[in-house]
Amino acid sequence: MKLNPLLFLAAAAAVAAPLPPPAQQLDLDKLPSQSKVIDQVVVPVPSEVFAALDKLGKPRWAGLIHREASKAKPVGEAPQIALMLGSIIAEGFIAVEAEDTEEVKDIGRAILSFSNAIGVRKAVVRRANSIIEFADKKKWLKVRGELDGALNDVREAMVELNSESLAHLVSVGGWLRGTEVVATLVSSDYSRDGAELLHQPGLLEYFQRTLGGMKSRLRDHALTVKVRKGLADIRPLAGGDDARVSQKSAKEIAAIAGDLVKAISSKP
Amino acid sequence: MKKILLLAVLTIFATNAARAYVDDAHSRAMEAATPQAKQGFLVRQEYWAGTLATKQPSVVKHQLFKGNTYWFWLGSDEDSAQVTVHIYDPKGNLADAEAWQKGNKAAVKVVPKVTGTYYISFSIDQSKAKKNRWALAYGYK
Repeated sequence: MKLNPLLFLAAAAAVAAPLPPPAQQLDLDKLPSQSKVIDQVVVPVPSEVFAALDKLGKPRWAGLIHREASKAKPVGEAPQIALMLGSIIAEGFIAVEAEDTEEVKDIGRAILSFSNAIGVRKAVVRRANSIIEFADKKKWLKVRGELDGALNDVREAMVELNSESLAHLVSVGGWLRGTEVVATLVSSDYSRDGAELLHQPGLLEYFQRTLGGMKSRLRDHALTVKVRKGLADIRPLAGGDDARVSQKSAKEIAAIAGDLVKAISSKP
Repeated sequence: MKKILLLAVLTIFATNAARAYVDDAHSRAMEAATPQAKQGFLVRQEYWAGTLATKQPSVVKHQLFKGNTYWFWLGSDEDSAQVTVHIYDPKGNLADAEAWQKGNKAAVKVVPKVTGTYYISFSIDQSKAKKNRWALAYGYK
């Protein structure tokens, strides 16, 4: 059988048809009518911003760990436990930065205890055990992956239990603790690049929107109200269109986020 | 005998239910991520996913931090699909540091020059299917 070289070339050209080059500019207000802007938001984990901070100079992470967090017991109603759980997972990322094996293992156990209190223990058992196992072996990249996985599994389990709002609160709790640490670090050793890491307008808008859109039982919970107010106070400090965040603003963000983390972990 | 039959039927149901949760589009995205995962990029567990018509451009907004390097990986479960992905900075300028596409997988690398909200633009440029399942994952280092 003879191959027709022209047909072969045509087929090859069809397979390797060059795709058009990307547009140099994207104008969200002028997208083609059939375009779709995806509403789903993936919240960065604290270790993403910690990784960026690490490149600016090695912070002394060990001094930033809230050691009482891993010993804490679940208190209050479901919204508070969800916020605490997020904050504890964030604490795990701080302990990983400090490469503190025992603290990370305690946090693995605390994640189990809080997940149990909120009815999602089953979803997170394997992750918690892996956190403890990898911490023992000092495989920090793996621990980071398992903390991220624990956060994801807890949230997915909550969504399956029709508790999407609680899943949002877990994210907010983690974000607040991560932000407190970053703001504390950059306000005490200020640099423009470091402070710029606090410029997160899209995330702040998203958190305010999701918390504001919750059912009144959750939206009007005393702690949720406090968190919503705190987020509203942080938003102008974290910069608008301009990514610059001043040392004074960073200090204020640290204070607001710190107060909220304290409120989250206090008895009602 | 009845008990054995019942067990067999339940096993088949359980297996099918488990399979239903496998996201093939995400699996393709993870295949695209393999080289970077080996280089120490932390691949996030959470990802974006949905269905798209062919040639329907889509945009995801995401917070990126200056100092990190990111890769975004796009996959589709449709074998005939040709997918593309690119990234734009907060001012809407193309910010691809590197990009590739191969059939139903594509990826883009970005080294953010500023911290802020970036726009990941993607589309299914060609496909035999009318609707295509897609998944977009990312990793950082």
